[in-house]
Amino acid sequence: MRAARQWHDKSRDREMEMTQADTSDVLIDCRSVWKVFGDRNAEAIRAITERGLTKKDILQEYNCVVGVSDATLQVRRGEIFCIMGLSGSGKSTLIRLLNRLIEPSLGQVLVKGRDIAAMDAATLRETRAHHIGMVFQSVALLPQRTVLENAAFGLEVQGVPKDERNRAAEAALAKVGLSDWKARYPSELSGGMQQRVGLARALTSDPEIILMDEPFSALDPLIRRQLQDEFRQLTKDLGKSAVFITHDLDEAIRIGDRIAIMKDGVIIQTGTAEEIVMNPADQYVADFVAGISRLHLVKAHSVMIPAAEWQGTAEGLPRCSPEADIDTLIGQITETGSDAIAVEDAGKLVGIVTIRNLLQGVRGDAVAAAA
Amino acid sequence: MENFVTAFDTAVDNALFWLSDHAAFVFDFFRLLLEGLYDGVLWLLMLPPFHVIAALAGLLAWRMLGLGAGIATAVALIACAAMARWPETMSTLALVIAATVIALAISLPLGVLAGLMPRLDRALTPVLDLIQTMPPYIYLLPAIALLGYGPATALVATVIVAMPPTIRLTALGIRQTPNEFIELGHATGVTPMQMFWKIRLPFAVPSIMAGINQSLMMAFGMVVIAGIVGSGGLGETIYGAIRTLDIATSINASIAIVVLTMVLDRVTQAAARVK
Repeated sequence: MRAARQWHDKSRDREMEMTQADTSDVLIDCRSVWKVFGDRNAEAIRAITERGLTKKDILQEYNCVVGVSDATLQVRRGEIFCIMGLSGSGKSTLIRLLNRLIEPSLGQVLVKGRDIAAMDAATLRETRAHHIGMVFQSVALLPQRTVLENAAFGLEVQGVPKDERNRAAEAALAKVGLSDWKARYPSELSGGMQQRVGLARALTSDPEIILMDEPFSALDPLIRRQLQDEFRQLTKDLGKSAVFITHDLDEAIRIGDRIAIMKDGVIIQTGTAEEIVMNPADQYVADFVAGISRLHLVKAHSVMIPAAEWQGTAEGLPRCSPEADIDTLIGQITETGSDAIAVEDAGKLVGIVTIRNLLQGVRGDAVAAAA
Repeated sequence: MENFVTAFDTAVDNALFWLSDHAAFVFDFFRLLLEGLYDGVLWLLMLPPFHVIAALAGLLAWRMLGLGAGIATAVALIACAAMARWPETMSTLALVIAATVIALAISLPLGVLAGLMPRLDRALTPVLDLIQTMPPYIYLLPAIALLGYGPATALVATVIVAMPPTIRLTALGIRQTPNEFIELGHATGVTPMQMFWKIRLPFAVPSIMAGINQSLMMAFGMVVIAGIVGSGGLGETIYGAIRTLDIATSINASIAIVVLTMVLDRVTQAAARVK
């Protein structure tokens, strides 16, 4: 379990380096997107652009609800992008703006460089069929169809011949471990299995981007964790990108390469789990991350002190890399009985982590220590 | 006021007369069409001897409902023949089948359209309310004026009475597709036709089947009433028995009606559940 977790973290780091190096590879580019619901939404939008009214003013003056307010985000190739928010934060609206299930009131959504709002019906269908898959919280498996027929639905709609689409659907079902269930009906499956079928259905059409709308929220905690790990592994193995909506910060941290935190329709902060936990943008985010375990999030480089401030000698200390997490460091300390660990990058001493630093890191005031 | 009412009545009468004088060929054609359909169905039903029909119905009920229902169906139908009511029972069945087929041919597509177009639905609702609140034998009057005494008139009135449930329940079924499946369709990139055939219709089937069952039952009720206009079948037998106070005949004809109604109701309800 722990080994897998660490492997995940390492692959996540590799992925991050890759995506950061290649920022031109943006699959979804969401630029200042607004969604206003209500009869007078056109007037409300004008008031927002001309007079800069806030969400509260809009509700009072125009009786319109601002679902998403000025949302800007980029989903890069190979990345899992989590959008975390509580109910009513606009996260479900935001994800539906990405494949135009909801029309944006203002702003632009570019999918692989093309403005999705400007597409005609046929192009939009083509984009949804081939480039953006979607998985729903309610799963939405067609009850009259078998698991295989459900998994093949996307290709069936595209007019792919039966043999071919069934082969693709079987392959997708094999990936989620449900090959033996293909002839069953959705009602015969447990909730977790149904959601796997939902994922297989999205994978059958082989889209580059998968939109996940709170897919695991209705599942019990054990199954949820299992599916989270499987989903992350599968997405990375297949080289897909995903936008993953959740109301659970733990889930966002487990799954996401980057996380956007939403509140009242606004994206408050976007960053990696470590960035958000270490540098919360405001009190709301800080309260949110307060209970999150730092063990796997905080890395040696953010808690270490310069080697010069260390009284003792670095000789004979256990070594670690700057990317080692606190959990690993604690392991090293308890095993060796040493008071400190030397942080080395490419064979060069870059800093020292003491027990005191580690405790600060666990508490979350590592920023002060590092600064 | 009275003048106005008299003038209105005269105008309606004249219009009817004008129609029957000038458009007689149209109505004659309709009449031939309707009677042809009815005669065809009846011919098919009378082709095999009664015990074959009873056995087939029993078999169907057995498959759909179970062994007990199958035996009961066959026995009940044989009882109809034993009471010497077989030809009337079959002509009533032929009327119900013909009327239901016509009614469904109109009401299914209309119901689908109403389900997809809220404005059509709003326009249809008062019409359907009107049809269902009027006493059903009202529809015999214009029909008899234009089509004359006989099964064609019975068919037209029956079709009118049988249509509303299927229209309403089809529209309802099409309209109430769960939203998550509509979203699924859009997100998968379905065409509007695929949305209808692959998503909306499958979810509407139970509701549509319930509508068809109700239409069938409405058709049954009307077919018996239409005995007054010479529909043939059990309705006419009962009407004749009432006029001559022939209680024995009216009772065994009624039993035959009950048998037919129950068999058709149970079998179509079971068909709705199977789907």
